[in-house]
Amino acid sequence: MDFSYTDEQDAFRRELRAWLEENAPDGWLEDPELPDDDAERVEFLRDWQRTLADDGWAGVHWPEEYGGRGASLIEQAIYREEMARINAPPQINLIGINLIAPTLIEVGTEEQKRRFLPSIRSAEEIWCQGYSEPEAGSDVASLSTSAEPNGDGEWIINGQKIWTSYAHVADWCFLVARTDDSGKKHEGLTVFLVEMDQDEISTEPIHQPHDDRTFNQVYFDDAVASEDLVVGEIDQGWDVVMTLSAFEHGSTSIYTIEQRYLDLLEYCRTETRNGTPLIERDRVRQQLADFDARIQAAKATHLRNVSEQMETGTPGPEGSMDLLVSDELRNDLLNFAVNLQGPAAALWENGHNAFDETSGYIRSYGAWIAAGTGDIQRNIIGERVLGLPKDIKSETSHRSE
Amino acid sequence: MDARLTEEHERVQETAREFIESEGGIDLARRQIDGENVIDDLWDELADLDYTAITVPLEYDGFGEGMVYLAALLETAGRYALPGPLPETAAVAVPLIRDLGTEEQRSRFLPAVADGDLRMSVAVYDDETEPLPGSIQMGVERRGDEETTEFRLEGTKTLVPYAAETDVVIVAARTRESQGYEGVSLFAIETDHDAVEATRMDSLDWARPMYELSIDGLTVGEDALLGPLHGGGSALVTAMDRFSVAGTAMLVGAADRAVELSAEYGNEREQYGHPIGRFQAVKHRTADMWVDMQSARSLVYYAAWALDEDEPDAARAAAATKSFAADRLHRVFGDDIWNHGGMGFTWDHDAHIYLKQAKSWRNFLGSPEANRDRLIDSRLAAERKR
Repeated sequence: MDFSYTDEQDAFRRELRAWLEENAPDGWLEDPELPDDDAERVEFLRDWQRTLADDGWAGVHWPEEYGGRGASLIEQAIYREEMARINAPPQINLIGINLIAPTLIEVGTEEQKRRFLPSIRSAEEIWCQGYSEPEAGSDVASLSTSAEPNGDGEWIINGQKIWTSYAHVADWCFLVARTDDSGKKHEGLTVFLVEMDQDEISTEPIHQPHDDRTFNQVYFDDAVASEDLVVGEIDQGWDVVMTLSAFEHGSTSIYTIEQRYLDLLEYCRTETRNGTPLIERDRVRQQLADFDARIQAAKATHLRNVSEQMETGTPGPEGSMDLLVSDELRNDLLNFAVNLQGPAAALWENGHNAFDETSGYIRSYGAWIAAGTGDIQRNIIGERVLGLPKDIKSETSHRSE
Repeated sequence: MDARLTEEHERVQETAREFIESEGGIDLARRQIDGENVIDDLWDELADLDYTAITVPLEYDGFGEGMVYLAALLETAGRYALPGPLPETAAVAVPLIRDLGTEEQRSRFLPAVADGDLRMSVAVYDDETEPLPGSIQMGVERRGDEETTEFRLEGTKTLVPYAAETDVVIVAARTRESQGYEGVSLFAIETDHDAVEATRMDSLDWARPMYELSIDGLTVGEDALLGPLHGGGSALVTAMDRFSVAGTAMLVGAADRAVELSAEYGNEREQYGHPIGRFQAVKHRTADMWVDMQSARSLVYYAAWALDEDEPDAARAAAATKSFAADRLHRVFGDDIWNHGGMGFTWDHDAHIYLKQAKSWRNFLGSPEANRDRLIDSRLAAERKR
């Protein structure tokens, strides 16, 4: 057992840290603020990802031949930690970078890789993921969006997707559709790469509780995908879905949570109530210490998981634990942070406070649901790790099997 | 970086498991609970397997291993609530003697421990209700001059694990008026002196006997003093950290077993025409138990490694381990009872053995609250330095 970083890993960290010092957006290191205006923000984020891509800091985990650095899982953890340390702007094409590209690398055609991977890295083409439907959330296999061949080498897609993050700015959609409904639910699915710029596709933003509109309903009304845009085999889309799922559960946001924690710690040290710093209150100290312990545990667990995965090569169901633990921790932490605001917790934006987390707190309820709710993760752990019998509903399938 | 147990660690766990199961598994704890003393025979066997030598340095006939190796072994011991002062001896006393002892003390104690001829424990509490370090009150009178220094110990230590089953107890006492860990000295006291008497207490965890150790005017030479006079406090703090991690490793093993028991029962026991593990109330609770167990395990591994490597955050990691595990593993054992319904609340089921162990461990060596205080102080100090 060795929790220390190798010289190579340390060098990776130093190189990235130096690069960030040099290349973070103007003024970001002093005051990390995204533009308020939606369009400006999208432009800012595209720029940021291009900057990362230009110097090989986007998709670091991709193989070198596709523009990545072939970063190991430990280096990916270091990458996340360093990005969190400067509260780096999010990567607008994160779904493309973290989920879709690795899936294409694994199961896509060489032509698809050459065509799409470079523009995913640079955020020249932004991707969304067309999985969930109004009647099929976690239960992806029961989706009903259909694709039928038109005889001219094209597939005609009809149906509706929902909760599709970034669809309103996306150029491409990684879409799973039903191509055969004669068999079992998870048979007869096919994955398509669908260009969003078609009159036959429309998006409608969903207004989220934190007043954001980053996910959408997407309607396909005779939309078209050519047959060279099929990923994997026709009717064998379930395998592709599973490949992507593994990537979805294989990462962690613990490092950004840790950064929020350190910010909160600083806030509690400087913010006073009735002349006394918050940090001197016993309840505050106890709660912060408990978060600290949970963060230490989550980090060590993540490092154990990735060490295991580096040996076996495949992510295990343990990723569900990373997700479950992080989601709960984030919500608890931000809930506590809002409570500390005092009466100002009644305000949406309480500008005089250095630590303003109302919106983040509300948003954390969404993170809890994304990539499968905590209940789904508990099912995965219960069934796949502990060998408990499957849910009555999940006897057929659920998204993360 | 490879944050996994090595193959060697896993092999030790496997052989330990085979051995303990061949000896009766958790029945050893049950026999101890029923009043039998299983420790003497068991200890000889543990020594034959070299478990008693793990942390003893190579030059004293040991294996020179640290907390990681020991934690791996104790995790397996914890599955069976294995009785015996292995954490006290291997995690606390041996490293203290290794780090503080004179050459004479090391040669006297360490090879004997490695061979299984000497068991050790530690006496820190003077009061059952005061937390550490406030509880350390016993005063020691120093006599003689520089040449002929002697110490006279007088008083009663309490909550001494396995005092009657050990040969030497490391006693923490005040050699000058002081507070906290200042002015604390450590003495290695042999329990077979006429002036030393161990009286069994009625411990919550019957598998782990606790004693009052009354020391009635015992005079010892300087060779009983372990480490610097008045200056044993900081070593004691680190020793308590090792103890915390070792004890928690045992709880993690127990929790692992409790999760297993719940999962087995969830598959086996049917109600309303389904195995109960199919119901999400049971399945999700069991999944949460597993998550808490794994989290505690991660903390144990990291803290054990950090202690071995003398990392700057070792004390913080130990405090995190103790505070997290004391609260959350306790809940795991309660949930295991719950998952088993009425069956879980019987003497025959193992769940109560684990629950009692966890509850008595909760406040021992510092409550979760006290450890969280330590943790946040150390975090704030580290952040100021950044």
